[in-house]
Amino acid sequence: MAATALPRSETEPADRQRSLARFLAEASGADAVEIGRIALLPGGAIQENWALDAEFDGGRLSGAQRLVLRTDASTGVPSSLCRVEEFAVLQAAFAAGVTVPEPLFACADAAVLGKPFFVMRRVAGSALGRPITLDPALEPARSALAERLGRELARIQTIRPPRDDLDFLKMVGPREHIASFRGYLDRHPNPRPVLEWALRWAETHLPDPLPPVLCHRDFRTGNYMLDGTKLTAILDWEFAGWGDPDEDIGWLCCKGWRFGRLDREAGGISDREPFYRGYESESGRRLDPERVKFWEVMANLRWAVIALQQSDRFLLGGARSLSTAITGRRATECELELLMLLDPAGAAERAHA
Amino acid sequence: MRDLPESRDLLALARELLLDELLPLLPLDRQRDAHLIATSMAIAAREAAGEGWQQQIAGLLHKFYGENGSLVRFAADLRNGAFETSPSRGKAARAILWRLTIEKLREGNPHFLAANGFIRAGLKGE
Repeated sequence: MAATALPRSETEPADRQRSLARFLAEASGADAVEIGRIALLPGGAIQENWALDAEFDGGRLSGAQRLVLRTDASTGVPSSLCRVEEFAVLQAAFAAGVTVPEPLFACADAAVLGKPFFVMRRVAGSALGRPITLDPALEPARSALAERLGRELARIQTIRPPRDDLDFLKMVGPREHIASFRGYLDRHPNPRPVLEWALRWAETHLPDPLPPVLCHRDFRTGNYMLDGTKLTAILDWEFAGWGDPDEDIGWLCCKGWRFGRLDREAGGISDREPFYRGYESESGRRLDPERVKFWEVMANLRWAVIALQQSDRFLLGGARSLSTAITGRRATECELELLMLLDPAGAAERAHA
Repeated sequence: MRDLPESRDLLALARELLLDELLPLLPLDRQRDAHLIATSMAIAAREAAGEGWQQQIAGLLHKFYGENGSLVRFAADLRNGAFETSPSRGKAARAILWRLTIEKLREGNPHFLAANGFIRAGLKGE
C-alpha cells in the first residue's frame, strides 16, 4: 500500500494536513487533532479512499481514531452523486440500520483539500471479489452471508421517498434506464444488435410498478467488506437513487458479479435461495421470479453499457490504461448472458453438454 | 515474404515468457497487470488468426435481407421490433445474434464461452 500525500491540491502536503486537522477539530469539537498515518487504499477507480489515523484532543471523538477519507479520484469519471450527497445517503443508511461505516463529517469547501470529501470510521475487512467467492475458508459461511445480504438490502429499501434530506436523489425507473441506454448506443460508434434486441424485450415486458425505494445501484460482491466471515460494511453509495425494489436484486445476481463462480447465482457466493429468504423475511415482500428476471436483463444491459463506457475512456478520452481499455470487451459477455436469459431454446440448441 | 518466425509464434513465446518467468518476479499488486497484458496478447493472436467470421456475418445479413445488409440496419430493425410478427424471421434474426456473439467471444474470451457450456458453439443449427 502506498503511503503518500493527501489528495491533490494547489497547496503543499504539509499545508493540506494542517488544513485537514483544523477541519476535523472544528467538526468534532476537539481542541486539536494530530494526523498520523495517511495511506491511499487500493481499488478506487472513480473515488479515492484514504486510510487516516488521527488523535483527537477532546470533542466527540476524543482519543485515537481510525478513519477513512473519501474523495474524487483525479482520473475518475462523473458519477451520479457528489461526495457530500453520498455522505447524506450514507447517513440515511446508517440510521436505517444498514451495516455501513459510521459517517462522521462532510466537507464541501474545496479550500480545505482542493476538492470535497467526507470522513467515516474505518472498519476491518476486505471487499475483493475473488477471495470472497473462491476462498474455501468461507465455504461454511456462504449461505448465512447471502441471507444477511438479503436482510441488508431489505433495510436499505426501508428508505423511501419523499425525504427532505435526500431530495437530490433522482427517480430512475425502467423506462428512464432504457432511454438512457439507447441514448448511449446512439452515440456509440459500433452497432450492438444484441443490446438493441434485449432493450426491445425490456421495453415490451415492463413489470407492473412498485412503490419506489432507495436503490444502492452497485449492491454486489466486491462492494461489501468481510472481516473473516463477518459482514462489516456495505460500500460505495455513489450511484444510489430512487427506483424499483428489484433493481438491486437483479444487479447482485447478474452473472458479471460472480467472480469465477458462475454457478452461484447470488453474487458468486451461494444459490439464490438464502439471499431471497433473507430479503423476504426482512422486507415481508415475496419476490416474483419474472420481475427479478426483468431486472437481471436490465443489469446485464447496464453492465454492458458501463463496460463500453470504460473502453470509451481509452477510445475517445485518451486514457492510457490497459485495464480500462480492455473492460469494453466484457460487454459481449453480457450479450451472451442476455441471449441465454431471453432465448433459452437457442442456448440449448447451441450448447454442447 | 515475411521473415520467420511468424508473429503468432512470437506472440505465443512472448506470452509464455511473461507468464512463466516474469510474472513470478513481480510484486503482488502488479501481477494483475501482467495477466491483463497476457490476455491482450492472446486476444490479438486469436483475432489475427480469425478474420473470416466477419465475412460470414456479412453473408448471413445479406441472406437475411435478400440484399446488402449491415449491422447498423440490423440493430435499428431490432430496436423497432421489425421481426416480431414473423416467428421465422425472429428465429433467423436470433441465429445471427448468437453467431455474432459466439464468434466475438471465441476471440475475446473463449474461457467464458466454455464456462457457459458453449464448448464448440456456433457450429450447430446454423
